[in-house]
Amino acid sequence: MITTTSTTMEGAILKLPCLRTVSRNPNFTSRSSGSLRWRSRPLHVSASAASSPSLINDTKIGPGSLGHITRSDFPILHQEINGSKLVYLDNAATSQKPTAVINALQNYYEAYNSNVHRGIHYLSAKATDEYESARQKVANFINAAGAREIVFTRNATEAINLVAYSWGLSNLKPGDEIITTVAEHHSAIVPWQLVAQKTGAVLRFVNLTEDEVADVDQLRGFLSRKTKLLVIHHVSNMLASVLPMDEVISWAHDVGAKVLVDACQSVPHMVVDVKTLDADFLVASSHKMCGPTGVGFLYGKSEILSAMPPFLGGGEMIADVYLDHSTYAEPPSRFEAGTPAIGEAIGLGAAIDYLSEIGMQQIHDYEMELANYLYDNLSSVSDVRIYGPAPSQTVTRAALCSFNVKDVHPTDIATFLDQQHGVAIRSGHHCAQPLHRHLGISSSARASLHFYNTKDDVDRFIEALKDTISFFTSFK
Amino acid sequence: MNTVPFPYSFLTISPNPQLCTKNPVFFPPTKPNPQLCIKSPIFFTSSAKRCYSKSRTKRRSLFSVSCLIMDKEAPVEEGLSVVDKVQILALEFRSLSEPIDRVKRLLHYASILPPLSESAKVQENRVMGCTTQVWLEVRMDKRGSMRFRVDSDSEITKGFCSCLIWLLDGAEPEEILSVTAEDLADMNVGLPRKGRSRVNTWHNVLFSMQNRTQDCVQERNRAALSLEDFHSLVIKPHGSYLESEFGHWCMSEFTRAIRQNDYRDGCTRK
Repeated sequence: MITTTSTTMEGAILKLPCLRTVSRNPNFTSRSSGSLRWRSRPLHVSASAASSPSLINDTKIGPGSLGHITRSDFPILHQEINGSKLVYLDNAATSQKPTAVINALQNYYEAYNSNVHRGIHYLSAKATDEYESARQKVANFINAAGAREIVFTRNATEAINLVAYSWGLSNLKPGDEIITTVAEHHSAIVPWQLVAQKTGAVLRFVNLTEDEVADVDQLRGFLSRKTKLLVIHHVSNMLASVLPMDEVISWAHDVGAKVLVDACQSVPHMVVDVKTLDADFLVASSHKMCGPTGVGFLYGKSEILSAMPPFLGGGEMIADVYLDHSTYAEPPSRFEAGTPAIGEAIGLGAAIDYLSEIGMQQIHDYEMELANYLYDNLSSVSDVRIYGPAPSQTVTRAALCSFNVKDVHPTDIATFLDQQHGVAIRSGHHCAQPLHRHLGISSSARASLHFYNTKDDVDRFIEALKDTISFFTSFK
Repeated sequence: MNTVPFPYSFLTISPNPQLCTKNPVFFPPTKPNPQLCIKSPIFFTSSAKRCYSKSRTKRRSLFSVSCLIMDKEAPVEEGLSVVDKVQILALEFRSLSEPIDRVKRLLHYASILPPLSESAKVQENRVMGCTTQVWLEVRMDKRGSMRFRVDSDSEITKGFCSCLIWLLDGAEPEEILSVTAEDLADMNVGLPRKGRSRVNTWHNVLFSMQNRTQDCVQERNRAALSLEDFHSLVIKPHGSYLESEFGHWCMSEFTRAIRQNDYRDGCTRK
């Protein structure tokens, strides 16, 4: 078991407002849409003059931290990119895989590769056991009532589409309302646009607060007996905001609505308990939680899944097939037509074993320290605008920062960081165009962390970013 | 000066005769360009800008980048095919082993790309499917050559676009359609060399140029066919027969070009 120490806070930091200039970069606007005003951002100027405590516990992220300990489990991190040591900060897009997961995949293909459920020979039985064991691991990981509530999908996008086409098409009618937010990933918007077009249901979008968090008060005001479904992110992949999901879900249930939680950015980083949340549906992707690509899952309450029609037709999902009709298997098989991603699901199981051994609370605690360190250091770089809420004693941010630099395109930044410094970040709209539009920008850069990142990674990124800004400034 | 011998005659023409470099892969082996500065690379920080700005006023007289300076009817470069240019550009970028030098080269090319007017930066001109914003104006001139203007909010992307303009502006439709993304692989700066990618603006812009070239050709052929219909009413049979044959030849040549090219376009077609 990996452990880290926790000590008292040191090095308090004074936060002062920072005045900034007007931006000419279209990707570099202030919070108020249509305005070019800068919102004051905290600037850390002195530890000795502190009047408020720092959010950073430096001893937690120093040498011997969780990141330092676990780095060795990830072979991919130990390489040079373009002549520099790789700093991988694109974890919100996909995570890296520990040796345990790579070995599980290799072992499956070397030792017992076979199709599941239908074979009676040893290899098929072994593959079936491991595949179903992975399902149970997912159920345990999110505290579902049982493995029957876990449907393996290709990814979270397919899981959302499954709900949209199965539950949505059979439960929504003209005038019904689907409520979501402008901060959702495209995969949580587009399927519902399609379903709304087919059913006549109305899609309503909750805006952001001044602090750039989905406005849950507005959301509460939207809820009514017309509301049939709430589709909402747990943690924003761009704003890094964390929503009070248990409260939001209880409000939706009060009006009889179902809730689908996009947990892609929460399940890999914190304890997520579907029983405590009382979520009706919850989706996540394996590849963002140290597992292989090609597999994700849908959690659905057993009674809801049982009442849903199939999404795709084919093998595995049927009970009996006649020429004119078929009867369908019980969930989760009903929703898993065809041969699934067996090795990948087993790899996901191995990833869950790995994460569970560390402990999700431990991962979360470490990432919170690293998140604050990233935010504080990034916000101290001149001409940088970070999106999402400012962290405080009451507001926590996920371990990622979407940002723009005045007069430098985020794609240029990401290209230079990669080419010159071996730092991998993401640029673009992060599959959240409505959110970018709402913020008055077309794209942003994003640095996102995982528990195997270290304070050194953040330091390298900040230095590389300063060099990048200096480089592009010299060309103007 | 470490000259590298090249047997190809097209190397007498540089994609950018303003270039100053110690490794003049694309330098003229037989006809040195008086504009060349050979003591220090042009792209290195402030000296690069000075070198560029000094010679900026002379750009219009330099035929090899003339297509970058499109006003109403920019002169079309003669004597250099698109295939030649692709090879020149590939040689140029292959000679830059350091990633930062390739980035600097692209930033230089970005700096000499004339900006698109704000009125042209409209949704209809957007090249979709990119992480950066790219606007592309396309038209066919009186000679049937394709004319392009392009701009982006990203400097590196603008550099890619500048190269594409040099390659394809003023070219015949068939030449434009014959270029493949693989031909341009050596110019990529840290981007996927094969296949499509959301970040591969280079590919997306090329495909958009080809897509819209195809539209222009089809439009021209439709217009020609309409004219032919009109002529058949007033011209003697043997005259209309010849025009009809020419029309079929145009269509067959165009179809052949399309088939030769592994034509893909992930961008939203207008």
